[in-house]
Amino acid sequence: MADLELSGVRKAFADTVALDGVTFDIEEGEFFTLVGPSGCGKTTTLRTIAGLESPTEGTVRFGGEDVAGVPTEDRDVGIVFQNYALFPHMSVRENVAYGLNFAEPPDGQSVDERVTELLELVDLSGMGEREPDQLSGGQQQRVALARALAPAPDVLLLDEPMSALDARLRETLRRQVKRIQQDLAVTTVYVTHDQEEALAISDRLAVMHDGGVEQVGTPREVYEEPATEFVASFVGENNLFDAEVVGRDGGATAVAVDGTEFRIDDGLGDRSGGAGDRLTFCVRPEDLTVGADTNRFEVAVDTAEFLGETTRYYAEWGDRTVVFRTPDAHGGDGLTLGFDPADARVL
Amino acid sequence: MRVTRVAERLSAPALAVATLALLALMFFYPVGIVLVEAVRVDGVYTLATVVEVLRDPFFFGVFAQALDDPSVIVDSFPDYRLGLFGFTAYQALLSTIAAILLGLPGAYVLARFEFPGRKTIRSLTALPFVMPTILVAIGFVATFGESGVLVRALRSVGLPASSFTGTLGIIVLAHAFYDAPLIARITAASWEGVDAEMTETARSLGASPLRAFRDVVIPQLLPAILTGALLTFIFSFMSFAIVLALGGLSLATVEVWVYHRISQLDYGTASTLATMEMLFSLALTYAYLRYEARQRATSAARPPDRVDLLGPATKRRLFAWGYAVVAVVVFVVPIVSLLLSSVTGPEGFTLRNYRFLVERQASAYAFQIKPLTAVTNSLIFGAGTLLIAVPMGVFLAVVSTRQFRGRKLIDTLSMAPFAVSGVVVGLGLLRGFVFGTEAFGYRFTVTGAVAIVAAHAVGAYPFVTRNVAPALSGIDGSIVESARSLGASRARVMLDIELPLVVPAVLAGTAFAFAISIGEFDSTVILATGGSSYTMPVAIERFIGRRLGPATAMGVVLLVVTSVSFVIIDRLGEGSGFGG
Repeated sequence: MADLELSGVRKAFADTVALDGVTFDIEEGEFFTLVGPSGCGKTTTLRTIAGLESPTEGTVRFGGEDVAGVPTEDRDVGIVFQNYALFPHMSVRENVAYGLNFAEPPDGQSVDERVTELLELVDLSGMGEREPDQLSGGQQQRVALARALAPAPDVLLLDEPMSALDARLRETLRRQVKRIQQDLAVTTVYVTHDQEEALAISDRLAVMHDGGVEQVGTPREVYEEPATEFVASFVGENNLFDAEVVGRDGGATAVAVDGTEFRIDDGLGDRSGGAGDRLTFCVRPEDLTVGADTNRFEVAVDTAEFLGETTRYYAEWGDRTVVFRTPDAHGGDGLTLGFDPADARVL
Repeated sequence: MRVTRVAERLSAPALAVATLALLALMFFYPVGIVLVEAVRVDGVYTLATVVEVLRDPFFFGVFAQALDDPSVIVDSFPDYRLGLFGFTAYQALLSTIAAILLGLPGAYVLARFEFPGRKTIRSLTALPFVMPTILVAIGFVATFGESGVLVRALRSVGLPASSFTGTLGIIVLAHAFYDAPLIARITAASWEGVDAEMTETARSLGASPLRAFRDVVIPQLLPAILTGALLTFIFSFMSFAIVLALGGLSLATVEVWVYHRISQLDYGTASTLATMEMLFSLALTYAYLRYEARQRATSAARPPDRVDLLGPATKRRLFAWGYAVVAVVVFVVPIVSLLLSSVTGPEGFTLRNYRFLVERQASAYAFQIKPLTAVTNSLIFGAGTLLIAVPMGVFLAVVSTRQFRGRKLIDTLSMAPFAVSGVVVGLGLLRGFVFGTEAFGYRFTVTGAVAIVAAHAVGAYPFVTRNVAPALSGIDGSIVESARSLGASRARVMLDIELPLVVPAVLAGTAFAFAISIGEFDSTVILATGGSSYTMPVAIERFIGRRLGPATAMGVVLLVVTSVSFVIIDRLGEGSGFGG
């Protein structure tokens, strides 16, 4: 049985619908991420799980049990907010111990032992007597994490916990959070707008858009087999092509984009429909190769962005812009790109 | 666990009921009595008294005359009879104009110049909120009165001078002393919010400095000036102690006349006048609150650079220096005169006046005011006020930051004392409780002291609320949500997290409440009449005409207590809630 289930969750505020038909299951011990642009409803979803918002329609189940009407303090959740929300008038130790006023520490530990253990877990041993304002942002974030974990919650909720930190620190902390989550095997819901972070950290993720869930899957599934145009363009970079089906060729489909014919074969057979139908397919920038021998088309490079291990090119193809990546240097007109039919994905 | 949960659930409603009951008892019931007495004569409800007042030229001047004979509007043009209400509005209007004239240059200097002590002076502009009005009165008497410092100084250089008090001008100046700092404060805050880049854009488009000021800065200052002006008008319209002490009956405003009728035991007329005044001031306060709520504090991306006040003379600096001289004369001289008068006598420097405060205690007749009793009464009433006003104010602050149906109503009801003058509350408490009230077959009476504490608490708790509420709502919502997600109930979060975080604001509110109680004059003077529960402000008013020395000595004592409260408020508080 799933540890946490949302089904048909709708949340309407006075003048807007924040969530509509949000449905997914999270397994016990899973690291599950809600990712999407700002305003997509990911934070509202997290707050609904926490019991800080009550859904207008739909149900939230913890371990199979409907938690409608159960206030936050009676749900076994731990939350870490973007701004950490440490209690400014309490020391680090008092902050971490606060939740143990309302719940016994697990495994028969004393409060002191539990707090010490958690401070060790987040590498803050010896910092217990500090005041929150004496800590760096990264340290404050770890205190918030220790505080949320201290009462051994069933579900850990993380609302953009890294976005106030600089990029390098974010990557270090990301690994640390993931390691702690795996050690404790605590069911975790993580909210971020950063798709790269979502891919890096999650067991599975839900891509959200306009208050709904576009796709749920593992990072690889979502990246390689985007279900919708939104997912295709939001997760990673992508080239989207509008095409007309010309005919079928074995497992592959022949399509025409502005008169240029391509063969695409995403292994999904008749999803591409019959001749005359329109479809959209996408090809990742790294799958467009210079001088390929199939699905060739000629482009003119417009801008190049040197990224270190690779270079990203924006190129004109007719009145379209395509983006491709390669370690080699290119420039000028008359560059021939192509792609493997198996690398195209029909949406 | 279950039991404590139930207790927690019930604690908020129980507190709400207790608070509302106290409010009803201390405020709404007494004010209700005044309203009822206005329309009841000998046990019969009638509008006769109201009509009588409306038709009496003594109260409504040319309007009343016009009811009998409209031609008077033409005949007596432009020399209209103002009547009591007309005169009250007239002096309030003059006071507002004077306060604007005195306050706006102050706003300019505060907003656009840099000088040592600027921040201190800026925070001192909030002083009028806690400064007892009677202190302004005694300061002005000590400066402009018959034996005032200014009058004596003028005489000593051979100029013929006599008392300036008892004139409309001195009342207007006293009101301006009181309210100009508020106008300067509110306007300066708004001025500092005007982005330098807006003016620079106007200049780059071809506007001269003066033109840019007129087109860009002034329109953005207008709402602040209007807010301050409205506030000044309300304060001046309801002014009591200043007019009573500096003008007397010959320059009576409605409040003073109500007090006069009460002291003549004519409660019917007093109630009718008080009710009319209350309706007017409620309407004005409502307009003020509506208008203020529309203002939005902005902070400039880049505030304009300040000009150093010290430096070679330029037109701007000369203006600022000139204003500084005026400000010293108007704001500093009365305070210095107060201090000076308290330590001088015919023989020069003396502590006679302070000794009098102590020695008088033994020698006074029973009907005379004993100074030390006034001091101890003030302190006892102050402490009593805190016991009621602080819990009530904090609770109402909590209520005002919650979302629930009926919150607006409670908000409005709890801020109502702002708009009702102390004279009205005093009259209601006197009629309702000190004279006794019948309920359940018993007659309840309350001593003057208890009634005074009730009146002070009513005047003080809104200031506690206005200090604590912004602090509470300033707490990051996610801190509260974190605590709840860790298992704390709503009541527990309040006790563990929110209240500890607003302790400074509560202390500021406490200091505010104490200062309000110590300085309260309007209702105290009514409730203390004939009894022994007089306070320092009442004693000062009694001494003012007869014994300037002791009056100023007591004024200094009051000034010290008020200043200490002010320092606490300034260090810890969110301000009065009135802009700035």
